[in-house]
Parts: sequence; C-alpha cells; structure tokens
Amino acid sequence: MNARRPSTGAVVKGAILAALLVVAFVCPYVLGSYYVSLLSIALIAAILASSINVLAGNAGLVSLGHAGIAAASGYGLAWAYRQGWELWAQLGMAALLTAVASVLYGLISMRTRGISFLMVTLAAGMVVYGMAYRWSSVTGGTNGLPGIRRPEGIAEYWQFYFLVLVAFCFVTLALIVVGRSSFGLTLRGIRDSETRMVSLGYNVPLYKFGAMLVSGAVAGVAGVLAVWHSEFISPVVAGFQESAISMIMVALGGIGTVLGPLVGAVLVTGFQHVLSSVFERWSTLLGLIFILSVIFAPQGIVGGVADLMRRIRRRGAPPRREQLDAEFRA
Amino acid sequence: MSGVFFLQQLLNGISFGALLFLIASGFTLVFGLMRISNLAHGAFYLLGAYIAVVTVAVTHSFWVGLLVGAVAAAVIGLGLERGLLRRVRGKEMPEVLLTVGVSFVIADLVLWIFGGDPKSITSGNGAPSGALVIGDFTYPQYRLFIIGVTLVIGTALFLAQRYSKFGAIVRAGVDNREAASALGIDIDRVFTWVFVVGAALAGVAGAIGSGLLSLSPSSGTEMLLYAMVVVIVGGLGSITGAAVGAVLIGLIDAFTKVLLPEFAYFTIFAPMALILVFRPRGLFGRAA
Repeated sequence: MNARRPSTGAVVKGAILAALLVVAFVCPYVLGSYYVSLLSIALIAAILASSINVLAGNAGLVSLGHAGIAAASGYGLAWAYRQGWELWAQLGMAALLTAVASVLYGLISMRTRGISFLMVTLAAGMVVYGMAYRWSSVTGGTNGLPGIRRPEGIAEYWQFYFLVLVAFCFVTLALIVVGRSSFGLTLRGIRDSETRMVSLGYNVPLYKFGAMLVSGAVAGVAGVLAVWHSEFISPVVAGFQESAISMIMVALGGIGTVLGPLVGAVLVTGFQHVLSSVFERWSTLLGLIFILSVIFAPQGIVGGVADLMRRIRRRGAPPRREQLDAEFRA
Repeated sequence: MSGVFFLQQLLNGISFGALLFLIASGFTLVFGLMRISNLAHGAFYLLGAYIAVVTVAVTHSFWVGLLVGAVAAAVIGLGLERGLLRRVRGKEMPEVLLTVGVSFVIADLVLWIFGGDPKSITSGNGAPSGALVIGDFTYPQYRLFIIGVTLVIGTALFLAQRYSKFGAIVRAGVDNREAASALGIDIDRVFTWVFVVGAALAGVAGAIGSGLLSLSPSSGTEMLLYAMVVVIVGGLGSITGAAVGAVLIGLIDAFTKVLLPEFAYFTIFAPMALILVFRPRGLFGRAA
C-alpha cells in the first residue's frame, strides 16, 4: 500500500466505515426500542468478538474461553453493585477481576499455541464457569445476580445504545492502533514463525502474555456492558457455548479483519433473536453456514468479500492469499 | 467417612472414570493419529445416547440399543470425516472450527427431534439393574456393569493396538505419518477407520452413560469437556494415558462432589490447566 496517497482499497474501506457510522447514529431515531436493544446486544457481542479477534488475527491464537474473562468482569460489577458500592468502585471491581482473570489466562497460555492454546483457554473458561456456578454464596449460583440497574445517564435504552456504540468505536480504533504498533507487528511475526522470532531474541511468551492482557481488557469492557444491558448475570455467560459462539462470530466474519467481528456479531445475533422467532432451527442453519464458510471461505465473510473485490480490480490476477492462509495454518 | 461410604465413593469414581475412558479413548485415538481436536466428539456421545434410548424403548433390548447407538454414531462420524474434514485436511484451525460447527448442528437437531426434557435409558432389558448387597454394603449393579464393559473394551483396544496389523499401522501413523504413507500405507483410509472407531466408542459411551447420568441436549458438551480434561491430563494420543486420566478424574469428581461441593468444576479444570502449563504433553504423552 502506498504510504502517501491512500489506495482505492483504503478509500473504499474508509467510505464503508463512515457510512456505517452514520447509519449507526441514525438508528435510534428511526428504529423502535426492540431493534435498538438488539443493536446494543450485537455491538456488545462485537466487542467481545473483537477481543478474540485481536489475539486470533495478530498472534494466531484462537481462544475458546473468552466468555470467562467477560463474565469475571460482569460478576465484579454485579457483586459490587449489590454491596451498594459507588459506580466508580463497581467499575474498579470489574477492572480488578478482569485484570486477575487476564493475568491468569495469560500465565497459563503464554507458552502454548494452536490447539493447545485453544484447549488451555477453554479450560480456563470452564474454571470461571465452575466458580460462578458453584460458589453460590458470592455469585448466587444458578440463579445468578439479578437487579443490576444501569446508572443515571444511560438508564434509557437509547442512551445505553450510544454508550455501547462509542465503546465499540473506541475499542475498534484502539485495536487498530495496537495492530499497527511495533507490538502488533511482533505478534504477527510470532504468528507467522515463532521459531524465527525466538532466534531473533524476542521474548515470545512475554508478548503473548501482553496480547492476552490487551484482549482481556476489551473482553472486560464487553462484560460490564453485557451486565448493564440485561441487568442480570448468571453462570451461562461464562459457559463454553458462549465462548464458542463468540469464536464463531470472529471466524464467520473474518479473522484478522477490522469489520469481521461486527459482521459476525450482527449476523449471529440476528439469527439468535430475529430469525429464531420465525425459524426454530436457527442454530442448525447457523452451524451449516459456519461449516460452509470454513470450507469455502476460510477467510470469513469480510475476508472473502475483500478477496473478491481485489480479484475484480485486478481482473483475474491471483489474490494475495498467502497471508490469509498463513493465519489459518498458525 | 465410614469404610462402606468410602468404598461406595471409590466405586462411584471408578465407574464414572470407566465411562470417561470410553469417551476419552476415541478422542485420544483420533488426536494421536490425525492431530484433530475433534470438538464434535461430544455430539457423537449425544447421538449414540439418544438413539440407544429410543431403540431400547422399542426393542426392549439394551444390547440392541447399544449396538444401534454405536453404529449411528459411527455412520455420522464416517460422514463427517469423508464429507467435511477431508476437505481441510492438515489445516489445524479449520479442522477444529468444522467440528465445532458440526457439534452445533447435531445438538440442535437432537433438541428438535427428542425435545429438551432429560431422558434416561429404560433400566433392565438385559443390562443389570438393582443393587448388589453384601452385608452393610449396597451398590448399584449397573455401575459395576459399566466397569466390566469398559474393562472388556479397553482390553480389546489395547490388544488390537499392540498385536493386530491394523494396530501396528495406526501406531506407525501416530509416530510418523509421512514415513508410514511413504511405505505404501493408505493413510487416508487409516484415518477414516480410526475416526469411525472413535465415533463408535463415543456412541457406546453415550448408550451406557444414558443409564448412569441424565441425558439432555447439553450432555454432549459436558462429556466432551470431561473427555478433553481426561485426555489432556493423561497425554494426548495415549490409550494408557486416557485410562489413567479417566480413573483419576473420575475419582477426583466423585470425592469433591462429596467433600468440596462448592469447587466441583474447579478441582477438575484447574489440574488440567496446571498440567498444560507444567507438563504440556500430559502424564503419559510423548514429547512433541
């Protein structure tokens, strides 16, 4: 890509992003409360998916346990709220638990990659789930912690929507910055060839640990927003199913793409909440679409579309797929 | 803890461990040879279980139910391996993602066909039911039966792997895929067979497990997670490891449910996480 003059691709991307942003800001004035809440859900899911995407896209580490970090954050907020703590203290508690969870996830996963990383994060997620489920004196067990009201200023559904939208934009921008920093470049180096980075003198586990902290912080944001949205938290949000769905959103949208998590989250949330009212077997359909996408569009929807556009522009010239393939091999 | 109570818990742990071995052995076989972390393995368990429950209700024979459940799981396993996994062979991540998608579809279809209410296999019908009573000591015969069936299957697996030609081929494949296939072994066919055997083992586990644990559409995921813990603790790819890991996790599960009910999942998944950190190849796994 030319450094001085933005390429056509970058202009198109920018235009799409700007248009999306305008649409997103207009939505609450046009749509009813049900659909605006639905958008909030999708955006919160997209934030959690982004936290998985930053690891998967940059470092090639696919997590199946991130719902556990979000849940730790959510439980922190909910517990502090029910203790009658001030808002800042509630958020502090959420941040503290997010940090603890991220550090633990990071410590146990920083020496793994590929399938082992997937399994370690899965196990970590199950530990969180188990604690949420069984440590009922603190977490409320299966019943969870109900009645977590949103603070003044974001109590209305549309106010909350704007908060979620701002959070999503902020997170996305921050992750783009991280991806382009030397830290992000190092992570991609590790993704493409860990041994090479080791022999270049990079402390690979330390970088993976750092990536987990960044990713965990984002998941923590999603956790707080999710509790505020549903005004309730239960062990289900920490479960394997939840982590798997978030991972599916990322893979379906396109690992390592900026808009992939959003596209995946909107699609899956739409399936879960809209399609489910007309077609009961939405889960089967989602599974089938996912299977087809893994086989025929391994770079996901956004990656596939970008690939297609490149192909059209170059009129049949082979697309640059080495990089995308490398991501999947990692 | 009285002696009788202790013995009962010990047997609970071992019988649950026996069930875990049945499901974990298939998972570990497939991983050892094909390097696929098959997250649809729980779905095979689920399928075997539901089909066995329905078959037993119709035929009134436990053994027919077991067989039909195992065959059904094997057939779906064959379809998954031939139809889907083959298309992404050797690409680690797509393989895992595919199996996640398949487990989604199967769990949802099971929910659709059989409903969400917990089910269990009709007791008796050729499988032992009732209690074994020796003085103060009473114990469900079905749990002892699980231990017996698992001993038979486990021994058969062990002997087949150690002494049969197919076993030798599988061991060669585990050691070095490329070399085995260079020596003229049709490794693709071996993959298919191992995958089918793994699926059938999960189906058998499902049929047997539906008499021990309550069965619902979420049982598949639950058992998959247990199988993964067992296999990771024991060492990926090792049958011996699966056996030791299964009994270990079974015992931990049985005793913590009684002694530390607040930490049930913690005591299972925390050791797994620790093993992954400090001994990533598991207790019996070979160095990569």
